[in-house]
Amino acid sequence: MSSAKGFLFDLRVLEIADERGEFLGKLLAGAGADVVKIEPPGGNRTRAIGPFYQDKPHPERSLFFWHYNLGKHGVTLDIKKPAGHDLLTRLIPNFDILIHTGAPGELDKMGLSYKALSAINPRLIVAAITPFGQTGPWRDLRGSDIVHLALGGVMMNCGYDPMPGMEYDTPPIAPQMWHAYHITCNNTYMATLGALLYREQTGRGQFLDASIHQAVSTCTEVDIPHMVYARQPVWRQTGRHAMTTIVAGSQSVTKDGRYVNASGVLGGTQLPLFEMLNKYGAADDLMDEKYKDPAVQKDPVVSRHINAVMKRFIQSYKFERDLWKEGQTYNMHWSPIRKPHENLTDPHWAARKTFTKVYHEDLDKTFAYNGAPWLAGKSQWRTGPRAPHLGEHNGEVYGKELGISTKELTKLKKQEII
Amino acid sequence: MPFAIENVRITDLTWLLAGAGGPRMLASLGAEDIRIEWKDRLDMLRHGGPPIPIGEEREKFLRGEPFVAKNDGVNRAGNFGENNPGKRGISLNLRTEKGKEIFKELVRISDIVVECFTANTMERLGLGYETLKKVNPSIIYVQQPGFGKTGQYADFVSTGPVAQAISGLTEQSGMPTPYSPAGWGYSYMDWSGAYYCAMAMLSALYYRARTGEGQYMDCSQAEPGIFMTGTAILDYSANGRVWQRYGNRSPYLPAAPHGAYRCQGKDRWIAISIFNDDDWRAMLKVLGNPAWAKDAKFAKFAARLLNQEELDKLVESETVKHEPFDLMNRLQGAGVAAGVCQTAADRIYSDPQLKHRGFQKALPHSEVGDWPYKDFPVHMSESPAYVGGTINRGFPCYGEDNPYVYGTLLGIGDGEQKQLAEQEII
Repeated sequence: MSSAKGFLFDLRVLEIADERGEFLGKLLAGAGADVVKIEPPGGNRTRAIGPFYQDKPHPERSLFFWHYNLGKHGVTLDIKKPAGHDLLTRLIPNFDILIHTGAPGELDKMGLSYKALSAINPRLIVAAITPFGQTGPWRDLRGSDIVHLALGGVMMNCGYDPMPGMEYDTPPIAPQMWHAYHITCNNTYMATLGALLYREQTGRGQFLDASIHQAVSTCTEVDIPHMVYARQPVWRQTGRHAMTTIVAGSQSVTKDGRYVNASGVLGGTQLPLFEMLNKYGAADDLMDEKYKDPAVQKDPVVSRHINAVMKRFIQSYKFERDLWKEGQTYNMHWSPIRKPHENLTDPHWAARKTFTKVYHEDLDKTFAYNGAPWLAGKSQWRTGPRAPHLGEHNGEVYGKELGISTKELTKLKKQEII
Repeated sequence: MPFAIENVRITDLTWLLAGAGGPRMLASLGAEDIRIEWKDRLDMLRHGGPPIPIGEEREKFLRGEPFVAKNDGVNRAGNFGENNPGKRGISLNLRTEKGKEIFKELVRISDIVVECFTANTMERLGLGYETLKKVNPSIIYVQQPGFGKTGQYADFVSTGPVAQAISGLTEQSGMPTPYSPAGWGYSYMDWSGAYYCAMAMLSALYYRARTGEGQYMDCSQAEPGIFMTGTAILDYSANGRVWQRYGNRSPYLPAAPHGAYRCQGKDRWIAISIFNDDDWRAMLKVLGNPAWAKDAKFAKFAARLLNQEELDKLVESETVKHEPFDLMNRLQGAGVAAGVCQTAADRIYSDPQLKHRGFQKALPHSEVGDWPYKDFPVHMSESPAYVGGTINRGFPCYGEDNPYVYGTLLGIGDGEQKQLAEQEII
């Protein structure tokens, strides 16, 4: 950690984004860019997304807004008014990247097509995130997190076992916490960095057309190859991969109603499991010679028996017993099904600084936040400051950077332009 | 058109999806990715399924006739294929001294080394970052151990389900207690681990472009999962609230009804999000303004939020009468956010938007022929990404690019290559 310089230390990002794209700005800020978030004078709609600090809904108390806008600067601007539009075009030359999550064609209608933006700043990279993409038969359809997880195929992979006879009495499940947007922003981060590296060689920016629908659709696993190569559908199953057949489950309940994911040695023998069970006197008949052959272990009847013995063993302990750690010493893919906050007190993550603390001087309180997604030898991840208050950096950006006088700023504020 | 990063070469020691997926992304952006394998310890997915139909099997498959694809050889595994398009592949035995020497020559002409072994494997081979940095001072070395290079779990193993479980993502999927977590029906953290590995490589490339300095990166598979648990950590830290599952509902961006509702057909469902009164009225109109909707329990948005359980059943009593795509089209036509829970077949064969955007691209392959692979989902106007990469090819056969890499890139003559092969080095 020889330098505190971020990966993107010399880059500036302008963000006009709702929940579809705020995560991209958070990633770029985390990687070291200076991100300036533009909100309408009344506040971004994401300030109304909960949960809220002390459960009191308020634009400055949205934990969603805090989380997804960590480390950004914030200004207000009504880009639909001519004076606001003018201010935006004055900012464009100073920035490398524009994140935009408006509807397809919205920028064009405002006279800010990529061509127009590029004329102001040929180096600008525009990362445009829309529900379905800038063009195509579905481009004007409406999305939402669950609608995208449905259309993109994630939901048909996730859920609970069918009843005998392969009928489902539970719906497909959308994993919670905005993953349609996580998936899209992760992919758009890659495209943006690709565009930056291209710009290093050519000096030119470009337009990135990110479709949430396409991004989510690419983020499933074996269902696509099984359809492409065998025209076989997959069946969703509780706590494990959707597969072409129903397989023995690795998700095992503990005595106190918590869960452990107990998969075996990858692609290998179950002997380590038998050894561990035997150590506790819980191997049933599994130490018998006949179970030694991996081929026998894979027989469906035998594999269900092994699974039942293992599940009985796990159910005879409480979750806090952390049996998974011992399973790992046998090289088995055991893992506790934790609630997110339970990682806050794990010394492993503490040693790696996986979480960070952020001081909110306005509340005189410090809160735990998710920290960096990785550790790097030279470039550090930015873990603050707190998300900006509404219009907090108007003075800095419009005053210092664009040289607009205090008097003029007051006037712009009165006219609800900033 | 040019690719974004045609000037980048990757020495790729990854496997499975979490590992192999990251360099797959960079190959789509134009990097030359050289995947190193050795026959005694192949990626287990090379032996896995689904086997890609070839020859007569393929003919039958294309005619829609029943067929059984043989699972023989190591160059026809479907999942392996989907994880590795656009990459070159070579065979190299890193357990031999000569193999290590050749590896270092490759590192010398590479920009990135990426691997997903357990934490200290490369050091044990004498090929850790400190050694490779002496060979190539500006090398970017990205390591992807399950739980990270440091810390008390450094030796633990991980795949998608392991990373999903410990991070909290498994617990965050499913119906409220007393249901168990539903978790993820695929390795979300394999893809996400791959994304973050790719994001790390690209970030380090930018940093190097600006400073000339390479660096070491420790990209665990589990930490990006923790990073994506959303507001759960903050809600605990600021409000003391412990995570509780809420099924398919939307408590934080209030909506009701909000969920997946059964339609006509076997296991067909439609997701609907109703965020306000306009949405509500539009949905009711499409559903034929059913009488139950006039109940005071559903008159106002706030009331609907309080009576969701009953509301869900009533909505489903209507949706079940409809063909899912017809209902989606009519709801969307009325301005309602609605989408069918699509299967893989829907996405591959009938989704008009994915077709328009080029969801999959058919790529040639020297043994299995042309098959479609999922393309990079962001369209780039000046330097389009493409799943076939600069070589316009599907996944590599084992050792397929030995002549190019050893001959053209490293200047090892044909005779010497033959000798190295006989000595079980390449």
